[in-house]
Amino acid sequence: MKNKKETDVFQLWDEHRGKIRSRKGGWLIGKGVLCHGYDMMEDLVGKYSYFQVLILNATGRMVEKRVADWFEAIYICLSWPDPRIWCNRVGALGGTMRSSPVAATVAGILAGDSKAYGQKPLVEGLNFIQSALAEKKKGLSTRDIVAAECSRHGGKPQIMGYARPIAKGDERIVAMEKVAGDLGFPVGEHLELAYEIERVLAEEFDESMNINGYMSAFLSDQGFTPQEVYRICAILVASGVTACYIDAFERPPETFLPLRCEDMEYQGPPPREVPPREKS
Amino acid sequence: MKRRVERRSEAFALRTVTRIWEEQASEENPYLADSCRCYGYDLLDLMEKRTLVEVLFLLLRGELPSAQEARLLESLMIALINPGPRHPATRAAMIAGVGKTDPAHILPISLGILGGSHLGADSIEGAIRFLRKHMKSDPGSVACQVMETNQRPKEGDWHPVPGFGSRFGSIDSYSREIADRLLSLVDSAKALSWGNAFADELRIYQLGWLPTGIAAAVFSDLGFHPRAGAGLFQLISAPGLLAHGLEQANKPLTSLPFPSDEEYILEK
Repeated sequence: MKNKKETDVFQLWDEHRGKIRSRKGGWLIGKGVLCHGYDMMEDLVGKYSYFQVLILNATGRMVEKRVADWFEAIYICLSWPDPRIWCNRVGALGGTMRSSPVAATVAGILAGDSKAYGQKPLVEGLNFIQSALAEKKKGLSTRDIVAAECSRHGGKPQIMGYARPIAKGDERIVAMEKVAGDLGFPVGEHLELAYEIERVLAEEFDESMNINGYMSAFLSDQGFTPQEVYRICAILVASGVTACYIDAFERPPETFLPLRCEDMEYQGPPPREVPPREKS
Repeated sequence: MKRRVERRSEAFALRTVTRIWEEQASEENPYLADSCRCYGYDLLDLMEKRTLVEVLFLLLRGELPSAQEARLLESLMIALINPGPRHPATRAAMIAGVGKTDPAHILPISLGILGGSHLGADSIEGAIRFLRKHMKSDPGSVACQVMETNQRPKEGDWHPVPGFGSRFGSIDSYSREIADRLLSLVDSAKALSWGNAFADELRIYQLGWLPTGIAAAVFSDLGFHPRAGAGLFQLISAPGLLAHGLEQANKPLTSLPFPSDEEYILEK
């Protein structure tokens, strides 16, 4: 190992001590607010959409308005006010317990940071379709790609972006296909492959693409990385959570799915005496 | 392709099942419990006869701890009760406090920050799994393997495996002292002992125990599932976070440093 002088060891932290360095922007008091090189009040407010600025903050890039409009539409698609959905149920539980709307909404957003649904599976969805396209370009057939992915899951069609819990089929894809068409987006190579994969899965397993698969492929065609999409979508489920919070909040406390004692099924040990503590 | 949406015939449970807690309904009102049992033990009896640490262990493991297990857990809880006022999670609590954020939010805010993978709860599960996988192997061989298969980053601290690494470029000797002290309290703590030997092997690379590694080793020795590690680590760190947040809550906004424009450096 390279020998360092003692002070060199923590020089990095000394360089940052008492200072904040930012590559994003900041408030220059009395002069203005900078946001990724833009003057926020002069250049952005009233001139760009909220979603363009959200994506700018998440990626450092100002995207064209139709990309931001597409994101706004998918935000609508992916958060609906049904408290049976897990993140929304967290919001409703916050409402019934009179949490603040911020606490309940944030709690619901956190619930969506899940391997099973919500924001996080988008990372796997984009990783899958991007690596699948790379494999396809190396000469693998779509059927081979599906077979390889299924073999990783014991032969089951558990490919991120395909099939979904509760229901078969996904009405959100139809809505987003229309949005993409209206905004003038062509079908790119990732989305083309996603449809091919869907055809194979439909033939072999009677399963179809879900909104994650559509979204991952579309956004891969737009040049987004998995982490960029995860960051843009951090608060994706917020509005449905808030709606469910309010619905429960506007009813008497603890009336959201109340449970009698008998509604829980106890399967633990039978009653037993607390033993005397052993001598240490 | 025509898209149809149909309900799947998934069989969801009709009732939630738990092995942890049994509530006996009162005769007057089925929503009220007139007795509660934790893994079969009456809660009121536990209040009288057991300590908080013992009941915490019971909740998470399903059985009451031995005297040595309780001692080890309680000592770890004291050792890690406060990440300290310089820790980013504690500073988040302080900012919530001084910012007059609802006091109910101090813990959720700071525990969220403590949930990160750098010196936080998100590294505990990996550290437990690392210890479980390697603690029957020679620590020297494992250290060699770790050094061969990982690359030191160009700048900043290096944690080649979860729970072990450098702190501000150096070995955190205080963590080592905590590990030694914990070991002196019990007859046997295999993961903790192995971790000490592993930390010895890492010393020449200026690496050693991290607080998260110690927590992971104790959790492993106490038989906690790796998945329990993140929440347990948050739980035992929570008192310090709360205390520091509340300390700031009655102070004016000017009580914490606010970097001047000269100290706020915009980089391209």
